[in-house]
Amino acid sequence: MRLVVKGVTVTLGSRDVLKDVTFEVGEGELLALLGPNGSGKTTMLRTIFGVLKPLRGVVLLDGKEIGSVEEAARKLGFLPQDTPLANLRVIDIVMLGRTPYLSGLKRPGEDDYRAAMEALKEVGMENMADRIFSELSGGERQKVMLARVFAQQPEVMLLDEPTAHLDIAAQIEIMEIVKSKVEEGKAAIVAIHDINLASSFATRILMVKDGKVVYAGRPEDVINEESIRNVFGADVVVRRYGRGVYIAPKLKVPNGLKRVHVICGGGSGREILHMLRDAGYKVSAGVVNVLDSDWEVAVELGEVIDEAPFSPISDSSHRKNIEVIENSDAVVLADLSFGMGNFKNLQAAMYAAKLNKLVVVDKTPFKERNFVGKEAEKLYREILERAVVVKREKEVLDAVRKLLG
Amino acid sequence: MRFGSAIVILLALNILALILSLGVGSGGYGYLFDVISGNADETAMKIVLDYRLPRYLVAIIAGASLSASGTAMQALFRNPLAEPYVLGVASGASVGAALSVALSMETIYSRIGLAFFSALLTAYVVYLIGSSSKFRDQTYAILLAGVAIASFFSGLTSVLIYFSAQSMHKVVFWLMGSFSNPFFEEVLFALPITIAGLAYLLFTSWNLNALLLGDEHAAAVGINVERFRKSLIAVVALLTSTTVAISGVIGFVGIIVPHTMRILVGEEHQKLLPSTILLSTAFMPVIDVVARISTSGELPIGAITAMLGGPFFLYLLMRRSV
Repeated sequence: MRLVVKGVTVTLGSRDVLKDVTFEVGEGELLALLGPNGSGKTTMLRTIFGVLKPLRGVVLLDGKEIGSVEEAARKLGFLPQDTPLANLRVIDIVMLGRTPYLSGLKRPGEDDYRAAMEALKEVGMENMADRIFSELSGGERQKVMLARVFAQQPEVMLLDEPTAHLDIAAQIEIMEIVKSKVEEGKAAIVAIHDINLASSFATRILMVKDGKVVYAGRPEDVINEESIRNVFGADVVVRRYGRGVYIAPKLKVPNGLKRVHVICGGGSGREILHMLRDAGYKVSAGVVNVLDSDWEVAVELGEVIDEAPFSPISDSSHRKNIEVIENSDAVVLADLSFGMGNFKNLQAAMYAAKLNKLVVVDKTPFKERNFVGKEAEKLYREILERAVVVKREKEVLDAVRKLLG
Repeated sequence: MRFGSAIVILLALNILALILSLGVGSGGYGYLFDVISGNADETAMKIVLDYRLPRYLVAIIAGASLSASGTAMQALFRNPLAEPYVLGVASGASVGAALSVALSMETIYSRIGLAFFSALLTAYVVYLIGSSSKFRDQTYAILLAGVAIASFFSGLTSVLIYFSAQSMHKVVFWLMGSFSNPFFEEVLFALPITIAGLAYLLFTSWNLNALLLGDEHAAAVGINVERFRKSLIAVVALLTSTTVAISGVIGFVGIIVPHTMRILVGEEHQKLLPSTILLSTAFMPVIDVVARISTSGELPIGAITAMLGGPFFLYLLMRRSV
C-alpha cells in the first residue's frame, strides 16, 4: 500500500493554501505534518481525504485516484480536529465507523458490531461502550474517535491534531495507540504542532510553512534550531534524548551587552545565572551534566556547554568550555563541589583566573566540597589569589560590575 | 428506559388517545361504541367518522411531522432549540394565508394552497441564501437566514392583517393553530406526503447520528453531507409546509416531544425518531381533546402547546446548566 501526493496545489478563495506539495507514505510509516497554525496541515489532510479538490496535482492510493466519499471512508480514516459533544453512547459513535460498509438501509449486522467492539478494545475502552460520549474526559473522547477510525479499517489514517487540548498522559497514550496501529502495517499522517511529540513518535517529519514542505526527513535530521526558526519563527534551544527532543525558548537578550560565563553544577549556579541574566548580561554555563538542575536553568537563560548525564567531563567539552571562557567578558566560579568527574572545571576556572576575569564565590569551606584531594586544594588556593573573591551569591553582581568597569 | 418497553407503552398511549379523541364530546363514548358495534344512527356515524376521525388524523399528522422534523433539525443544526420552523415555513405560510384573505380568496382550498406554496417557497429562499458560497459554515447561515426571513414575513403578515381588519380574525385564529372543522380532502392531501416524509427520515436516521458529530465527521465516515443536508431540508420543508397549511402554526411540539424522548431513550436516532413520532401521535390528539372541552368554544392548539412549551423550555435550560 502506498499513498502518493504529487504536485498538489490547493486554492481557497484567492489564496494558495497548498503549493506544489509532493510526498509519499507507505506501510509502517507514521508521518508527522509539523507546522505552525495556518500552515496548511488541515488543508493537506482534507485534500488527501477528498473533501477539498486540488487545483493541480493528484492524490493516488496504490496508483489510483480515490473515487467516491464512501470509498475514501473505507481506505482512509480521517479524524477532524474537533468533535462536538454529542450525547450518543460510545458504541453508537464507534458504529458510525461502519457506515461505509453498510448497504442502503444502513442496518448494521453482527459483524459490524464485532468490528466496533474490536476497535474499542484496541483503544482500551471496551468497558465503556454504553457510556455517554459527552460525559467522558477529553482523552477518553479522543480514544473513542480513534476507535471510530479503526472501525473503518482504513489503510491510511489521517489525524488532525489528535492530541490538541489533551494533558500530557493522554497525548502520549493517543500517540502510542496510533503508533502500534501503524506497526501492524498501516500508515498514518498526523498533523501536529507539538515538536516534542512529533519527533518522539514519527518515523518521518514534513515541516510545513505557508503551504509548502520546507523540510522532510527523519526527526533527528530535520528538527534543529535552524529549521524551527525558519518554520515556526521561534528562537529555541533544542536538546536531544534519544529520538525525543527537549525544546526551550531562548530568551531575548538586549544586544551589545557583556557575556558572563558561570562554572557551576548541582544547583550552585541557579541564583547567579538568574541574577546576571536579569541584569542584562548574556549568560552561559559549563560544563554541566544534562539534566543537572543548573543545566535546566542555563538552557532556559542562555547557552550551555553540556556533558551526558552522570558522565565525567570529556576533553572536547573542556575545550569548548575554555573557548567560551576566552570569549566571555567575565567568568564566575560558583560554590560547587568537585570530584574527579568535574575536576576539569576547576582547571577551567584557573584558566579564567589567569586571564584576570574570574569572580569566585567562596561560601562553603573548600574542604567540605573537595572530593578530589590535595591537588584540588592547591589549585583552588592559587585561584583565590588571582581572582575577585566574594562570600555570597548576592555579591556576585557587584563584583562582576566592578571587574568590567 | 429500554427501547422495547418504551415502544409498548407508547403504543398503549396511542390507543388511549384514539379512544379519547373519537369518544369525547357530545353524545360521549356512546356514539363511538355504536359505530364499533355497527348499530349507529346517522348522527353518530357523522360525528364519529366525518368529524372526529378526520380531526384525529389531522392531529396525528401534525404531531408526527412536526416532532420528526424537529428531531431532524435539532440534529442538522446541532442545536437543542432548533425547531421545525427554522426554515421560515411558519412565517411563509402565514403570509400566504393572510394574502388569501386579503385578496378575498375565501375558499378553504385557496387558503391551504397559498399557505402551502408560500411556505415551500420561503424554505427554498432561506436555503438559497444560507447555502451561498459566501458563508463558511452553511448550516449556521441557513439558521440565521431563517430567522431573518421569518422576522420579515411576520412583519408583512401583521401589515396584511392591519389592512384587512374585518375578515382577519380567521387568519389570526388559524395562525394559532387548530384542528377544527377538518375536511377529508385535507387529510387526503397531507397523509401521503407525511407518510413519505416520515419514511425518508426513518430510513436516514443513521446519518442523523453522524450529523451530531459535525459535518466533517459525517463526511469522514463516507456520508455525502452536502447531498444529505439538501434532501433533509427539502423533506422537512415539505412536511412542515403541509402541516402548517392544514393546521396552522403549532409551536413547541417539535421541541417538547423530541426532548422528552431524548431523556427517556437517548439520542440514537434509530430509537429516538420512531419513539418521538409515537409519543407525538398520542400527545397531539390529547391536546386537541383538551382544546375541545376546556371552554364552550375552542382554545387554539398553538396557545395550549405554547403554554406547555414555555415551562418545558425553562426545564431544559436548568437541566443543561447543572
